[in-house]
Amino acid sequence: MTEETLSQQPVAMLTQVEKTYRLDSVSVPVIKGIDVMVRSACFTVLMGPSGSGKTTLLNMIGCIDRPDKGEIVVSDCKVGELSDDALSDFRAKNIGFIFQNFNLLPVLSAYENIEYPLLLAGVSAKTRGIRVPKLLEAVGLEDRAKNLPGQLSGGQRQRVAIARALARKPKLVIADEPTANLDSQTGAAILSLMRRMVDRYQISFIFSSHDPEVIKAADDTIFLHDGVIRDVQRKNMGASK
Amino acid sequence: MRRTLNLALRNLLRNRRRSLATLVAMSIGCAAILLFGGFSGNINYEMHTRIVQRGGHLQIQHRDFYLYGSGNPTDYGISDYAKILTDIQQDEVLRKMVLVATPTLQFGGIAGNYAASVSRTVIGTGFVAEDINRMRQWNDFGLRSKAPISTLEGTALDSAVVGVGVARVLQLCDALKVEHCPKPDKKRSGDGEAVPDDIAQLSMQESKAASSASNSSPRRVEVLLVNSRGAPNVTSLEVVRAEDQGVKELDEIALIMHLAKIQQLVYGKSAPKVTSIILQLRHSDQIPAAVARLEPILAKYSSSQPLAVLDFRMLNPFYVQTVQMFDTIFGFVFLLIGAIVLFTVSNTMNTAVVERTVEIGTLRAIGLRRAGIRGLFVTEGALLGVCGAVLGVVLALVISAIINRLDIPWVPPSTVEPVPLTILVAGELKMIVGTTLGLIGIAILSAWWPAYRAAQLKIVEALRHV
Repeated sequence: MTEETLSQQPVAMLTQVEKTYRLDSVSVPVIKGIDVMVRSACFTVLMGPSGSGKTTLLNMIGCIDRPDKGEIVVSDCKVGELSDDALSDFRAKNIGFIFQNFNLLPVLSAYENIEYPLLLAGVSAKTRGIRVPKLLEAVGLEDRAKNLPGQLSGGQRQRVAIARALARKPKLVIADEPTANLDSQTGAAILSLMRRMVDRYQISFIFSSHDPEVIKAADDTIFLHDGVIRDVQRKNMGASK
Repeated sequence: MRRTLNLALRNLLRNRRRSLATLVAMSIGCAAILLFGGFSGNINYEMHTRIVQRGGHLQIQHRDFYLYGSGNPTDYGISDYAKILTDIQQDEVLRKMVLVATPTLQFGGIAGNYAASVSRTVIGTGFVAEDINRMRQWNDFGLRSKAPISTLEGTALDSAVVGVGVARVLQLCDALKVEHCPKPDKKRSGDGEAVPDDIAQLSMQESKAASSASNSSPRRVEVLLVNSRGAPNVTSLEVVRAEDQGVKELDEIALIMHLAKIQQLVYGKSAPKVTSIILQLRHSDQIPAAVARLEPILAKYSSSQPLAVLDFRMLNPFYVQTVQMFDTIFGFVFLLIGAIVLFTVSNTMNTAVVERTVEIGTLRAIGLRRAGIRGLFVTEGALLGVCGAVLGVVLALVISAIINRLDIPWVPPSTVEPVPLTILVAGELKMIVGTTLGLIGIAILSAWWPAYRAAQLKIVEALRHV
């Protein structure tokens, strides 16, 4: 499959997705009937102000939250039909996560943090021994393999988190404001790294951000406001709604 | 499993001070349980040993002797006891199990000190003197204390040993050089009752003969008993020693003499009988096998006299009650300490769950199942349990070794002389393994609820946790 045809394939498809949070007796609708498609091997940015529903939408695409209504298909799988254990296995195999606060396991070294998803998947020691150093090299942290997260800078931690997200060669990587806790220079470096990873590994990246600068790096941009999609801009396909 | 264990261990080491506090609480609790268990276990062994040294493991008696024999023991005598003993000694299986098989004869009577005009009722027992000392060598539990050797062995047939209480009442303390023996007020007639006239007359006849032989020894007592035909009989005995019997009630009535002498007095020229045949086995756990083996042997003699085999537990209900009491206290102590461990580990794990909520969300997001989260926290609890229990065992071994070396004297129940305080932890594998597994089980149980709570957390809420 060529890069162009690959990018036409949806890695995630949302149909009439709704999500409402209940705060005490008050119902707060956060996502209001969204239909959207996330393309394969594309760098997709979810833009919108605070409270627009970016994180909720990312959580549902990342299969760590379930919609109240509607259907979500990720990597050709109707995730709403999966049990909790099946969903865990599905995430382990198909989805990588990059968090705003890095969320590395503090007791594990950089190497071990990257290795952990592979251990969860039962990947052999031999394969792990090949894959983890390659990922460390890809994110430029070969010399920091033995360092604990506490011994790394914010940018280095986020690079470890990126390597961890890519460890299982997932189809989709979810990143919730991955540059928010970094200075602008480091944030730009991380963004550039993620962009390179998309191109190198043909993985779909979808992440949320407030930063208009991020749009420049994105293939697709989804504009969200008050739980509805206001606009979708796809670089290869032009604007559509 | 190795991955979970590795991660659990690192998580415990992450907050060293909290883990250490939990471990210290657990190990002190575990050591306390083991030390108490070692203390009560030693009391059990001391009592067990003393009882077996005095009365053997098994006694063959007339079926009704145990319940009714104290009224008139000689009514429940076992005839053919020598044949029964021979059969036991010739049995292939019993021969290997039995260390001592010896006959005894119990009787009730009155002992009087004619010179002091005092007397008191006694329960006398006739033994084969050499067998008493052979039985007192039994020490299957390897106790540090040894039973005193009976002085009856090697003495003349008319010798006797009395309880210290008997010596006191009969005012024999000076003659027997008994220490700590208060004397009665001189103005009063004494603690003992005056010898009745008829008994005094009988004993005078007897003591005339005896005094010629012993030059009216101050240790001489006269004993009145009823022979097998119901007639009174009196003998004069030379008390060679007063021995503490361990239990005051027994000490006040005990008179121990040679079996041949008492048989002569009770049965005269008729065929002698005994009231019990004592069997001391090599090991206490051989009792069921020995009883099973005895049944066909005794059946041969049961047509003329119904016989029963009683083990030392049936004959010594005080021992059983004491052991049960200590077992109950041990269970109570275990329960209390178990509850403390439960709350300590539970508190530690609950705090860990709250502190690591985001981490739990992360692990779940990257694909760890609920069971994986549960397993992680339960493993942490189990690790705390294992380390706490192992430390506790080591602590208990060290403390017990120190206490055992100090040789602190004390007198356990049913024991006569002070013995060094001993706490048996080393070698008590069953207690150590039981306590260790119990505490690990409690630690796992304590961790289960926090682990379950952690596994049930919603991923998005866990990731949002501040």
